[in-house]
Amino acid sequence: MQTVARAINWNRLDDDKDLEVWNRLTVNFWLPEKVPLSNDVQSWATLRPAERELTIRVFTGLTLLDTVQNTVGAPSMMPDAITPHEEAVLSNIAFMEAVHARSYSSIFSTLCLTKEVDEAFRWAEENPHLQAKARLILEEYKAGSDPLKRKVASVFLESFLFYSGFYLPMYWSSRAKLTNTADLIRLIIRDEAVHGYYVGYKFQRGLERVDEARRAELKDFAFSLMFELYDIEQNYTAELYDGIGLTEDVKAFLHYNANKALQNLGYEALFPPAACEVNPAILAALSPDSENHDFFSGSGSSYVIGKAVATEDEDWDF
Amino acid sequence: MLDGLKPELDYHALNAMLNLYDADGRIRFDADRMAARQYFLQHVNQNTVFFHSLDEKLDYLVEEGYYEPEVLDQYSRNFQRAIWDAAFKRKFRFPTFLGAFKYYTSYTLKTRDGQRYLERYEDRVVMVALTLARGDEALAMRFMEEMLSGRFQPATPTFLNAGKKSRGELISCFLLRIEDNMESIGRSINSALQLSKRGGGVALMLTNLREAGAPIKGIENQSSGVIPVMKLLEDSFSYANQLGARQGAGAVYLNAHHPDIMRFLDTKRENADEKIRIKTLSLGVVIPDITFELAKKNADMYLFSPHDVQKVYGVPFSEISVSEKYAEMVDDKRIKKRKINAREFFQTIAEIQFESGYPYIMFEDTVNRANPVHGRITMSNLCSEILQVNEASEFNEDLSYSHLGTDISCNLGSLNIAATMDGPDFGGTVEAAIRALTAVSEMSAIEAVPSIRRGNDEAHAVGLGQMNLHGFLARERIHYGSPEGVEFTSVYFAAVAFHAIRASNLLAQEKGASFRDFEKSKYADGTFFDKYVSRDWLPTLPDVARVFGNVTLPTREDWAALKADVMKHGLYNRNLQAVPPTGSISYINNSTSSIHPIVSKIEIRKEGKIGRVYYPAAFMSNDNLEYYRDAYEIGPDAIIDTYAAATEHVDQGLSLTLFFPSEATTRDINRAQIHAWKKGIKTIYYIRLRQTALEGTEVQGCVSCTL
Repeated sequence: MQTVARAINWNRLDDDKDLEVWNRLTVNFWLPEKVPLSNDVQSWATLRPAERELTIRVFTGLTLLDTVQNTVGAPSMMPDAITPHEEAVLSNIAFMEAVHARSYSSIFSTLCLTKEVDEAFRWAEENPHLQAKARLILEEYKAGSDPLKRKVASVFLESFLFYSGFYLPMYWSSRAKLTNTADLIRLIIRDEAVHGYYVGYKFQRGLERVDEARRAELKDFAFSLMFELYDIEQNYTAELYDGIGLTEDVKAFLHYNANKALQNLGYEALFPPAACEVNPAILAALSPDSENHDFFSGSGSSYVIGKAVATEDEDWDF
Repeated sequence: MLDGLKPELDYHALNAMLNLYDADGRIRFDADRMAARQYFLQHVNQNTVFFHSLDEKLDYLVEEGYYEPEVLDQYSRNFQRAIWDAAFKRKFRFPTFLGAFKYYTSYTLKTRDGQRYLERYEDRVVMVALTLARGDEALAMRFMEEMLSGRFQPATPTFLNAGKKSRGELISCFLLRIEDNMESIGRSINSALQLSKRGGGVALMLTNLREAGAPIKGIENQSSGVIPVMKLLEDSFSYANQLGARQGAGAVYLNAHHPDIMRFLDTKRENADEKIRIKTLSLGVVIPDITFELAKKNADMYLFSPHDVQKVYGVPFSEISVSEKYAEMVDDKRIKKRKINAREFFQTIAEIQFESGYPYIMFEDTVNRANPVHGRITMSNLCSEILQVNEASEFNEDLSYSHLGTDISCNLGSLNIAATMDGPDFGGTVEAAIRALTAVSEMSAIEAVPSIRRGNDEAHAVGLGQMNLHGFLARERIHYGSPEGVEFTSVYFAAVAFHAIRASNLLAQEKGASFRDFEKSKYADGTFFDKYVSRDWLPTLPDVARVFGNVTLPTREDWAALKADVMKHGLYNRNLQAVPPTGSISYINNSTSSIHPIVSKIEIRKEGKIGRVYYPAAFMSNDNLEYYRDAYEIGPDAIIDTYAAATEHVDQGLSLTLFFPSEATTRDINRAQIHAWKKGIKTIYYIRLRQTALEGTEVQGCVSCTL
């Protein structure tokens, strides 16, 4: 049988959410060049050597996860797409993950020495915890694996695993350090929030088409994967943050985000509110909205690509 | 113990709780007050150098080279004790965390290693007062009273630097012309470096530079236009920020009818190539009336080669009114031109504003029609509130001046509207502010840029601004942008204009001098006063009359008397009012910024030195939230109407930011610009956008994220 090639028709939507998310992702398009990272050079110099090493490692870890999501994760979900529009959204997600991975390199090339960066990349390849979590996720992304389980893995990656890394730049910026880098990370967070939400949403639509037993199986799978990842993440966090005494704080943040990831999948929270008491300075720092910045320092993280509409004669009534 | 507030939380965490609702959905103002207290307990008090007495402190600070002895030597020790005593008796306290944090991180005098504080707020205020009063004890006491009561707040460079031994300039802001030759370009870059080093913002006018592809020495296609000059400037500013107390920052202005205008705008595109992308330089476009008229007809607009215009008219492009000469230039074969569609031009501006917030806009013909003094206004500054005349310089080959022109500087300071309205003597406060700003002008001489020095010496231009309009209106239970709000703004600004002119007239009488070319101004021939002697600018609405209950407002007769005095004795300052955006100083002064509405009930403030901090609007409580609708809810029209009421009485400009939700289109922005132009607005500063989080992705319980 011959396959028919079909053109994507955005005027026939099976799911309005596809267009809504497409529009949001496209207006949010950005490139790292827009952020004046070099304004952070002086601030970088005020970090202690251990703090600098930690920061580079955290960003290297994030680069690794973004690379996984860009080259394997998002593409592996494309064949599972139910609508052609979903596929288009996933290709946008894949591209933006590449932009994110690229952004960390912009941070490195602006702030660090090549030798430090090379060391950190070697560290990332050798770090057992980082490798373990990448392996667990990659396992689910493998060809032939379960499409819905793939989505679970993807949501955990986007909504949970990234955040042990995001914590640090948010922490620095609440201490007036690396504030432009934090702007860039906030742009990444803005994207990841939409990615995790969207894939979770598609997962929930998928659940609606399967029977009770399968639903129970998937829920079991999701929680046991979460436990496994959480175990690794705890060790990863302790290894990174023990040195500057922030592990407890980061863990609360992990709990908060684990709950958010489960919520994206439509599941109840795992951690009780008391375990999720994130430092308010970090939580408040996550919101990119209506930030008032002074033009002496940075470009902010709230501008978008606008919708162009021509003016009409009535507008020029004077 | 307060509900949910753990004392072990550090002040940053307490402050951040402002941005998170409590369990009952109320804003936690108490957390911020506790943050301010904890900041003093945990940090400031432990890190402040202790002195047993004022004598010990002053001797130490002078001997160690922290204070300028020349400032203190103008006064007796007895008087110094008296003024310090009076200042500390007032028991000043910072009402918000950000106010205290901003003051201690950015303003106060620190030990050379930056680790310990040498001044409290009262010390800073007294040193500024002593510096600006130049030995006049009564005046020093008056300045101290005005500042410590929060009525008058000098701009950052003055408040930060006055009285310190190693310091930057007291002036906020500089504007430079660039002419179409290499000497002028080179000199401008040098000036930009020199002025940035001293801590000022610098704007430069590019309108006169020949366009890309224009001939050089008669050979075609030689010039590379304005973009490479912008690159050089951007790099200069980022270099100078390594030395100054605050980062270098610059803006460039270009006329809409310059042939490089589209390239100029494209430098801020999200996908611009790295070679032409402009990241940190601010852009402004100068738009004449003719551009609007062409857009109305949906016609093309011609762009004219500045090189040819200068050859034909014998003066730089910026000195020509494009509106006036448009038809003539279109018909003149000697002027090379190209055309673009006028509506597309406006749409492109709006697109770039979506992506970057830039460009600023100056409505050239509106500005020049409203200009009361002799000369032409061709550009604005980094905050788009300075509008003054300038004059081209000419250079010899060795970069010395063959003709020294004038460039612009401006000394700014703002009144806190609420505190001024509450004060005992409205006119006295305005007069004290004008005297303080004039002192800054007289004490400044920027030798590194002779054209700036000449401009300042001849003009003594100052810019008195205003802040806390929204806070004041809300406290009085008046909605921003309501008929009452607009009428208040009109009456208030008319009264400020009256007292500012009166003060400058007094200065002219005392000093027996007026600004250069006073006799060619509309003040001298009296026409400036027409609108004040032919009608009243007094309250008509009961709510507005109520809030002015304790203020004596100038009547038509008062204006007529002032007119006679000015025509007889002159004015000392060429320019008097300019309303800046007031970022930092409004935080330490517990005000809402400038005269625009709040951007959010809890504002997120981010800057290099302080990181991310949260700020509650002035006078806001959980009981009066309805009067604190933010700028996005209020919308552009009400903001424009409020600014139009103020613009009427301000001789220079006002930094007017417009706010849109991200669902808005370029058409919405264009319509607001047309509305602003029709209402007589002089300049538009940033366009700000707010994107609401996609449902399901928001940070829960966050005050600044909810609509």
